[in-house]
Amino acid sequence: MITLDNLCKKFRKTEAVNGLSLHVPAGQVTAFLGPNGAGKSTTIKCLLGLHRPDSGSAEVLGCNSRRLGPAQFQHIGYVSENMELPLWMSVQQFLDYCRPLYPQWDATFERQMLQQFDLPLQTKLKDLSRGMRMKAALLSSLAYRPKLVVLDEPFSGLDPLVRDEFIRGLLELTEQEGWTVFVSSHDIEEVQRLADRIAIINSGKLALDETSESLQTRFRAIEVILPDDAKLPTQLPADWLHAEQAGRTLRFISSRYAEPESLAAAIRLVFPSTPHHEVRPMSLREIFIALARTYRLEGKAQP
Amino acid sequence: MLPFTLQLQDGIPVSDQILAAVRKAMLTGQLRAGDEFPSVRTLSQELRISPTTAHKVVLALKDSGYLGSRPGIGMVVTAPAKASLTERLDQLAPTCRLLLAEAAELNLTFDEVVKALRRTESPAHELLKAAKPVR
Repeated sequence: MITLDNLCKKFRKTEAVNGLSLHVPAGQVTAFLGPNGAGKSTTIKCLLGLHRPDSGSAEVLGCNSRRLGPAQFQHIGYVSENMELPLWMSVQQFLDYCRPLYPQWDATFERQMLQQFDLPLQTKLKDLSRGMRMKAALLSSLAYRPKLVVLDEPFSGLDPLVRDEFIRGLLELTEQEGWTVFVSSHDIEEVQRLADRIAIINSGKLALDETSESLQTRFRAIEVILPDDAKLPTQLPADWLHAEQAGRTLRFISSRYAEPESLAAAIRLVFPSTPHHEVRPMSLREIFIALARTYRLEGKAQP
Repeated sequence: MLPFTLQLQDGIPVSDQILAAVRKAMLTGQLRAGDEFPSVRTLSQELRISPTTAHKVVLALKDSGYLGSRPGIGMVVTAPAKASLTERLDQLAPTCRLLLAEAAELNLTFDEVVKALRRTESPAHELLKAAKPVR
């Protein structure tokens, strides 16, 4: 659905996106995560043709982003946290304005979402709350049943109820064949149940691209109760992240967990007389935080 | 609304949690053979999960014999052929391991654990009594 190849975009001297390659498959929800300033919005604007990449390319629905036109935009829904809306229009006027732009606009779906989102038709967009305005934007981007929905930080500043309605509305769309969702966020909490795939961008580069399932399979939080005389060796296995010791307790995150036996063997190798250890699965949020810490440490190690 | 009880928790894959919840609902009678089962779309919307995950769950439930498709209705709950004793014991194994680990940490003997199990108040005792041993 989306293929980014060595995408680069600079603003003056800032490398916002610096050689990003990523493939977003169809029929899945891909979460595009990274800290604020990592290059998420720039990437999204490049792939929608709103920014021109300096080098590299973005392909969307089989078309180079530099050549996207109405034929493609009819099938792309885009909602961004700071998108410009015609604030002087009422909700009704706004929808009347959008409808003719899309031949496949689904009026039944529009009515259904209007009801579900509880949007006041006569109120002007500028007088709506932030949440209501985002719902109006989502409605206008879903009603033509796009094949690809691109959401740029759609949930930031939304209260939990609105966020919930928003996600529900988005999921309405997936009833049809050939849907794809690409959603950026700085907070995995917002998307952790929704995401089939996690792509993480860090300093303009791809840091991770993996299915949620595989992440949850290979990450484990481990707690080892050390024997009295145990000392933490300076060199721990490379896949043990963020090892910390307090008294007899050693905690670390295993990033290559396979099965209990091999982990037990690895622990015995470091601490031959270890009496006891516990293994706990991790939520995507915990995994994301562990990874983000790793990237920060790596960032500091490089000059 | 979903016809079975599920409070999603962090840390455990969503699909595993749904499978466990459906199995439990079958055991407690909350779901019975012939009941209509929610569609992929309903599952996805009610739990706010990706339709891909919901789809996988439905496939897994079909594979293990808990669901069948009935033309015109959609998915219906089916009573799976009784799994073999080994299979059922395998399913119990993780809980057993947890119980033993917890007991060991509390410095309890094996007999004390068995006694505690017998004394535990639960409506499941009736079902356990009624269960017929297979070979």
